[in-house]
Formats: sequence, structure tokens, C-alpha cells
Amino acid sequence: MYNMVEINFIINGSKMTKRIKPSTLLVDFIRDDLKLKGTKVGCMEGECGACTIIIDGTAINSCMYLAININGKNVTTIEGLGTVEKPLDLVQEKMIAHGAIQCGFCTSGVVMTTKAFSEKCKNEDKIPTRDEVKKSLEGHLCRCTGYIKIIDAAEAVYKKQ
Amino acid sequence: MLDFDVISPKTSHELFEVISNSQDKNYRFGAGYTDLINDLNNNLQQNLTVINLAKLNDNNFKAININENGVQIGALVTATQLLENNIIQNNYPVLWEATNSVASGQIRASATIGGNVCQASPSGDMSCALVALKAVCEIIDSKGNIREENISDFFRGVKKTSLKKNEILRSIFVPINISKNIKSGYIKVGTRNSMEIAIASIAYHFQKDEQNNVIDAGYAIGAVAPTIVFTKDACDFILGKNINSLNETDVKQFANLIKKYAKPISDIRASAWYREEVLINLSETILK
Repeated sequence: MYNMVEINFIINGSKMTKRIKPSTLLVDFIRDDLKLKGTKVGCMEGECGACTIIIDGTAINSCMYLAININGKNVTTIEGLGTVEKPLDLVQEKMIAHGAIQCGFCTSGVVMTTKAFSEKCKNEDKIPTRDEVKKSLEGHLCRCTGYIKIIDAAEAVYKKQ
Repeated sequence: MLDFDVISPKTSHELFEVISNSQDKNYRFGAGYTDLINDLNNNLQQNLTVINLAKLNDNNFKAININENGVQIGALVTATQLLENNIIQNNYPVLWEATNSVASGQIRASATIGGNVCQASPSGDMSCALVALKAVCEIIDSKGNIREENISDFFRGVKKTSLKKNEILRSIFVPINISKNIKSGYIKVGTRNSMEIAIASIAYHFQKDEQNNVIDAGYAIGAVAPTIVFTKDACDFILGKNINSLNETDVKQFANLIKKYAKPISDIRASAWYREEVLINLSETILK
């Protein structure tokens, strides 16, 4: 057992301090320590995108990220967007409106990637082309929808904002 | 379950100290972690120390610096940072396109150019472009001594580099273009567009004079030999020729010279025969 490491970070808007094992993966930390189960474990090798979260505005795979490296950073998981209690995020609204969710396993990852990309597009004041939207989602696997509805939903987000 | 110790140096001084003190230990460097964590999940190791480079605050490792001779890219520069750099996009399309073809957006946000090079995968995308660009690796040891090595020599085999245990790749230097008139790009063939590992890939960077005669040629092939290969004979052959009006014989000759460097294997992704066919067809296509 190695020495525990203290980390300070912001999770979904709240400051937090934790002591963790240095080799803890971020996805395990989020699900098992923080009990935020919306982030999913899929392939555990960066192929499927189910574990995607946002760190300082950038979407990353939390299965390939050491939890200690969120020290000093701002982390957003699906729970940090809308929930049933608070208003849904535009991305979530459009996913529902376009029927882009079936089993839901890939959904939180897809939403986080789309959220990060939509913020980037908003900052650059641009509406991405359909090909750019597809490219932005290349790190996600969905076995239910056939992707069309997910891409439609994402496009609707970029057009609305 | 992953179980290793992590040391996070913040300055290069601390880094060198950690490397010095770890010479008798089993250690790995962690930068973007997109390869390392998969590696460690597949091959659990006892008593491993990871030297975490994510907290290192040293611009020699982290920045893209432009000078009159070329571009010095820190080993910790991420794929996404490269893609957002206009100088890379405008002057080295081969590197930009190769970087854009790496895995997915989430992985490009974490993955570093140094990691791509040090993995020494025969199908490394950024690495293939860097070989075509005749990039030079800047390697530093724990005493602060620097040595430079052409990237083609840096690769010694599948997942093998010339790095010694007390050394680390600090940056990669890409020489400045001698002409603004370039033909440069990266083509990767796989079974789909996203998240693909190449069956065969080619990186080309030709610099031409005003009459379109080639004055500098860089051509590298990936995934068809144990390392990425700079096809020197093919590059020498095309020098001085007008790349926009090559005859059929020249194109065939160019492709044949490339074929000589290919030693493909058959694996889960493609047969050796198919890899070679793809390589030849790609090589001819870009000259037509």
C-alpha cells in the first residue's frame, strides 16, 4: 500500500478535499468514492466514451486519467448538468426531444462531449457542420440508436445556442 | 486492480532528481496516460512507480516554441494543442492531419506528442508525420546532458526506442520549411474512420520550387514494418523532378522504391499482402 495523496478540486460546482490511493483511476474515484454513478464504466480502454466527463472545459475519458491529476481542477460530471430536480441542460433537452436515448448507457458520455464541444463552438461563435459534429462524437459507441438521432440532437444544440 | 506509487515532480530539477533516485526501481513515465493505463491494465506489475509528468511545470516540456530554424514542440504538448496551433496547421499539414486522425477528441485532449513518439508504435500517427518531417528528438538525462537524435534513428523496433533508463524525451524539433510551395498530408487506411489504428499509413511532405520541382522530400510509411520508416531512396528519386507532371514510369518507380522498405506482417487487422497493396496504391495515388 502506498502513501495516500491529498487532492483539492471542484466537483459539479462544490469545492472538495479527499485523500486517495495514488493509482486510483478517475472513473473509479467518481463512481466509488464520490458515489456519482451517472458516469459509466464501459470498455475501460478509451474506446467507448461512456466514462466521458469534463475537466476545465475539456471532455476526457475518465477511465484513462489518474484521479490525483484533478488536483486544482474543475470537474463536471453528468450530475453537474441538469437533473430531474433542476432544469435540464440544453444538451439533455435536445437528446430527449430527438429520441437519442434508448438504453441510456452511452448517454451521459455523449452529453458531456456535446456539452464541451458546444461551449467551445459558442466561444468561437461558430455553428459546426454535420461532418464536424460527427467528428466530435467519434469517441463514442452507441449500440442502440445507430447514431443518427444523437447527431441530430447535437446539431440542434449548436443551432439553438 | 491497478496498484502503483506515483511521484509528481513539479520542476525539471525535481524530475531529474526523481529519475536519478529511481535508477534501481521499476518505473514508467506517465504523461497523457492514454497508452500507459491500458498497458498497465493488461500487464499488472509489482512495485511499479509512475513518474507523473502531468504536474511538471517546465516550458521546455510543455510549450510550442517557434524560432528561425523551425518549431520546437515540447514532449508534453497534447494532440489538441497541436491541432489548435496555426503554425502547425499552415506549415506542416502532414503533422496536423496525422494528429487529427489520432483516436478520438477525448483521447487527443490528453495524449501527448512525446507519448506518441516514446510508445514507438509502428502505427503511431503523429510519429509517422514526424519521420516524414525529418524531426529531431531532444533527449535529456538526469544530469541535464542533452543529446539530439534523428527520429528515424530514435525508433529501434516495435515499442523500442534509443532512450536509456536515465533519459527522457524533452522535445521534438521540426525544421522550418525552405519553401512555401508544399505538398503535404497524411493518409491512414483502416476499416473505419474513427478510433482507427492504421493498416497502413503514409506521411508525405514535399517542398517545391516555383516550377513545382521537388527541392526537399520527406516520405514515411507506417504499420508496414517494425518501425515507421523514412523511405530515403524514394525521396532521393523524386528530388529535382516536377511533382505535378510525373510520367507513369516515374510513379511506378517511386512506388517500387517504397515497397522495398515494407516488411508487413499479417495480424488481426489485415494480411501482409493487403497492407503492401494498400501501401503501393496510396503511394501512387498521391503522385497522380
